[in-house]
Amino acid sequence: MTYTRREILETLRMTELEHFDVRTVTLGISLLDCAHPDPSEAASRVYEKLKRIASPLPAAVNATADDLGIRVANRRLSISPVSLISTRCDPSAYLEIARAIDRAASEMGFDFVGGYSALVHAGFTDADRALLSSIPEALSSTSRLCSSVNAGSSRTGLNVDAVRTVARLLKDTAYRTRESGSIGCAKFVVFANAVEDNPFMAGAFHGVGLPEVVIHTGVSGPGVVCEAIKRAGSCDLRALEEVIKRAAFKITRVGELIGRQVAGRLGVPFGIVDLSLAPTPELGDSVGEVLEAMGLERVGACGTTAALALLTDAVKKGGAMATSAVGGLSGAFIPVSEDATMISAAREGHLSLEKLEAMTSVCSVGLDMVAVPGDVEEDVLAGFIADELAIGIVNHKTTAVRVIPAYGKRVGELVSFGGLLGDAPIQEIRTLSCSGFVGRGGVIPAPITSLRN
Amino acid sequence: MDREALAVAVSDIVLRHLPREASREALEGVVADMVRLLESQPFLEREGPGARHVVFTALGRNRTGIVHAFSEVLAELSVDIVDINQTLVHGNFAMMMILDPSGSPVSFEDLRASLKRRGEEVGVLVFVQYEDMMRAVNRV
Repeated sequence: MTYTRREILETLRMTELEHFDVRTVTLGISLLDCAHPDPSEAASRVYEKLKRIASPLPAAVNATADDLGIRVANRRLSISPVSLISTRCDPSAYLEIARAIDRAASEMGFDFVGGYSALVHAGFTDADRALLSSIPEALSSTSRLCSSVNAGSSRTGLNVDAVRTVARLLKDTAYRTRESGSIGCAKFVVFANAVEDNPFMAGAFHGVGLPEVVIHTGVSGPGVVCEAIKRAGSCDLRALEEVIKRAAFKITRVGELIGRQVAGRLGVPFGIVDLSLAPTPELGDSVGEVLEAMGLERVGACGTTAALALLTDAVKKGGAMATSAVGGLSGAFIPVSEDATMISAAREGHLSLEKLEAMTSVCSVGLDMVAVPGDVEEDVLAGFIADELAIGIVNHKTTAVRVIPAYGKRVGELVSFGGLLGDAPIQEIRTLSCSGFVGRGGVIPAPITSLRN
Repeated sequence: MDREALAVAVSDIVLRHLPREASREALEGVVADMVRLLESQPFLEREGPGARHVVFTALGRNRTGIVHAFSEVLAELSVDIVDINQTLVHGNFAMMMILDPSGSPVSFEDLRASLKRRGEEVGVLVFVQYEDMMRAVNRV
């Protein structure tokens, strides 16, 4: 037989019993040619281009998924950082574009579009400033738009002025969306070393170095990895890495297959596979559970960072063998509210923000979907973000913060977003002042390791 | 190279080497066996839409007549069964077939719908997919 019985049944077990799906097929679209001095004209060009290019995506993804017998959880769009679509430098101009994007997404049935973004790691243009000040209004008056800001890079250092601006706009967004658990903040990420080809929300945008249109895929599959670890029993750590590598190989192969076939159907180039283990709040689809299956009593125990380091490394190695088109963030995501095991570990007090911060130094992104009390001071929030971005800048990796200062909520309460965004327990954040430091403003210069030429 | 072209190529080789007095049946038997052998080799990459096989799996409680129920549907739709394998997993019936739908007048969607419908009648779970994922996941 072309395939053995075991191979066929194992593959079916992955897709049918272990929650394996391709997390996202993301179509990246350049909107740079939609620029126009008149914001209404720019907005209508954006709307028309999105409709023209993205309309065939859902049908192409569905047909491919049906052919291959695999689920694709999400179809999404990433667009050029909107601050680069030159128009009148005024917040209201960018708001007009924001609404056009939201309307196009809603008409075509996309749940999220990423790229209401500004890249300000080495300073602000006038357009960046206009876009930044429009973000709270944009996030509270649209439902499908995701926004991000790149505030630092290993080459240019950390723009602390941008970080403070972000802290201010987060508080504002939290207030404006207070009726729905400050959900606006769940659609905003601040980055260091943001990547141009990330297919995952909320931080996706279509980088300036990419082609006109491109297809990326983001794989998932914590359930597959978890079950493989459980089946492996009490093997030693080198053998455990091997088990994870094999599972990651299979997951990645499917991601690439889907991406190439969808790209082929649409007649657009295929970009990358993002090899991230991405959880959902569903039971059996949790990165926290993988860590516990590796032998931790609960996530947050001593040994958690080491276990996560092994996991992330194994996922990359297995994935890199499976495809030559690795990109995006690639590693393991640890969003608290989107992962059932992480939520309960945080609620029971086992997983502090400090432990999470340590974990982010070895995983793919950062402090993701964490909620803190709504009365947190702006400068404390800025310090919190600056700490996380500094880890990325010094270690030449992407780090990010997606934090929800949930308006009116206190430590121990829960804020529910529903769907993929899940439930976030409000976690304790240190309230000691850092105003004397972040209040100085300016830029933390790039580390000495940036001088590589 | 599709199935037919492969058969012609194999026939040419066999004709060159076999004695002239070999019977037509013997010739056909040798060619059919060789084509089957070659096709079952996983390291041979298949190309072209004509050769895109379908993996069909049926899982459920064991009972008589399951294989018949499905092979009947496949015969009606002129879908070639390239390979078939069945086993019992923890008392449950698992049947796997590799299908070649290239000679069938119906589309992949219709083939899948027909097999699913028959699966419901017989009371077993049915999975129908192009072989692409099996190959991607199980072959380096």
